Amino acid sequence: MTGDILRILLLVLQLGFVALLYLVLMRFAGSLLKDLRNAEEVQIASRSGIGRLSVLESPADEPPAGTTIALGPINSIGRNVNNTIYVEDDFVSTNHAMLTFRGRSWFVEDQGSTNGTYVNGHRIDRPVALSFGDELTIGRVRMRLDR
Amino acid sequence: MRIAWRGAELRLLLPILVLVPFGFAITNIALTGTLEVGPLHLAIGYAVMLLGAHLVLVAFGNRGDQLILPAVGAMGGIGLIMLNRLPQDLAGTSALGIELGMAGTQLLWFGVGVISMLVIAVGLRDDGILRHYKYTWAAVGILLLAATFIFGYEVNGARLWIDLGAVSVQPGEILKIVLVVFIAAYLAETRTLLTSARVRIGFLSVPPLPYFLPMLALFAVVMLIVVRLNDLGTALLFFGTFLTMLFVATGRRSYVLIGLILFVVGFFVAHRLFGHVQLRVDVWLDPFADPLGAGFQPVRALYALGRGGLFGEGLGQGLVTLGGNLTIPYVHTDFIFTAIAEELGLVGAFALLGFAAVFVFRGLRVAALARDDFSGLLAVGLTASLALQALIIIGGNTKLIPLTGITLPFVSYGGSSILASFIMVGLLLSISHRSIVGTDAEPDA
Repeated sequence: MTGDILRILLLVLQLGFVALLYLVLMRFAGSLLKDLRNAEEVQIASRSGIGRLSVLESPADEPPAGTTIALGPINSIGRNVNNTIYVEDDFVSTNHAMLTFRGRSWFVEDQGSTNGTYVNGHRIDRPVALSFGDELTIGRVRMRLDR
Repeated sequence: MRIAWRGAELRLLLPILVLVPFGFAITNIALTGTLEVGPLHLAIGYAVMLLGAHLVLVAFGNRGDQLILPAVGAMGGIGLIMLNRLPQDLAGTSALGIELGMAGTQLLWFGVGVISMLVIAVGLRDDGILRHYKYTWAAVGILLLAATFIFGYEVNGARLWIDLGAVSVQPGEILKIVLVVFIAAYLAETRTLLTSARVRIGFLSVPPLPYFLPMLALFAVVMLIVVRLNDLGTALLFFGTFLTMLFVATGRRSYVLIGLILFVVGFFVAHRLFGHVQLRVDVWLDPFADPLGAGFQPVRALYALGRGGLFGEGLGQGLVTLGGNLTIPYVHTDFIFTAIAEELGLVGAFALLGFAAVFVFRGLRVAALARDDFSGLLAVGLTASLALQALIIIGGNTKLIPLTGITLPFVSYGGSSILASFIMVGLLLSISHRSIVGTDAEPDA
């Protein structure tokens, strides 16, 4: 008799356990869906472009360190104010470098600058493909290419 | 700095804290026939651990993914319930004079794993040490393997273990992480070269070999040693992870095709050369040919799955031991999935797979949102390796693929496996945090 009661109790408990298991799983699904809906808005808000430059170090403070610059497909970098990315630094040439997006990759090319263009600490002498996360040094300004 | 409360994480963790003692209670009622609830200290320990991890992440302002920790917590919880249900003398240690059963030891390892996870998630502000010292990491990996080769001892024909006096460790678990870090760093650096340069032989575009050589050389060495150590599951896992990362980095299907062809060729060669590979395949094709010998484990596993059926036998009511012997050898490590499917049925096993799917989904999301190529590839590699590991062992348990003995991450008993898996979660949380917070140059205060 007690055996029967125990068996029924166990069955009920077991069903409760499985129900709880699926309740937790449903909660996960709810969180996932909520995130997916938010994700679209976040995407539009912050990452609509093909890439951005994060300024890591900038002694002359133009562009200021800690800011990010949204990039178009073709960007000229230099001390001339007519450049897409204007860099105020004594070690930067008037027309210093070109940063372009071709196909699926970013490329950087030095425009015959005096002090050179550096990718991850190495001076470049021809157009070089960049990966996201690479560091670009122009004069004393250090920037990182981000998605 | 604004405090990130991680509310979603907390809301998902709370029901898991109820789930674990609930499972313990059912097990204990079924096993003892009285209304005694299970080992409360284990349930409390597990709850304190998960909540503690949550609070530390909040305190240190980690803004990383909030679903990963609860998903891992759910898998670990189901594993702990099952390990507590199995005979406690299968494994275990005594610490400070207190005899810890198998479940207690597992909880201890969970603690060590969670602490490592937190140290990495909170402490790893910059991935420079992972990225710039990739050849150092590769050397560490080779040394680990060499150490296993020289000092290791065999369990079941596979030489995986090193005895360090107090504990035995499996260096292969740590090697897995080191290898993923190396491949991610290497591919992130050479990705543009690998995709832009084309060498054509006939209609196939072949990878530009010189750029591949360092990576292929390392990989070949690792694979050779792993196969020599008879650790086939790990070999398969490494290979699958490598191919996944290569495909994600380059987006070229031809690499995957070449990889798969190499795999098939390698498999046939191994099948010809090694007796144990042949045996594994024969047992997989027909375990009932030798049900009391080579096919003993798979046959018993199939019976257990059958007994479980749709809704399971009930926690504590399955046939785990028979006359004092385990019905399935290694039920606490390699065959934990079978035990879960026996007692919780197909529905319970599906729930476990659901949590694993959530983990994989979020891991790939972390990769997709990663700030740079290295972080993204690292996240892909870590997620893929955990997913493949689960796939290989669950497939082996259910006779979908030949059985190779590896652990089910977060669920199986085993210190090295738990520790390695939690380190990987720590890396994922760190990557996720950095992708949300933005640049390192951002002032902290």
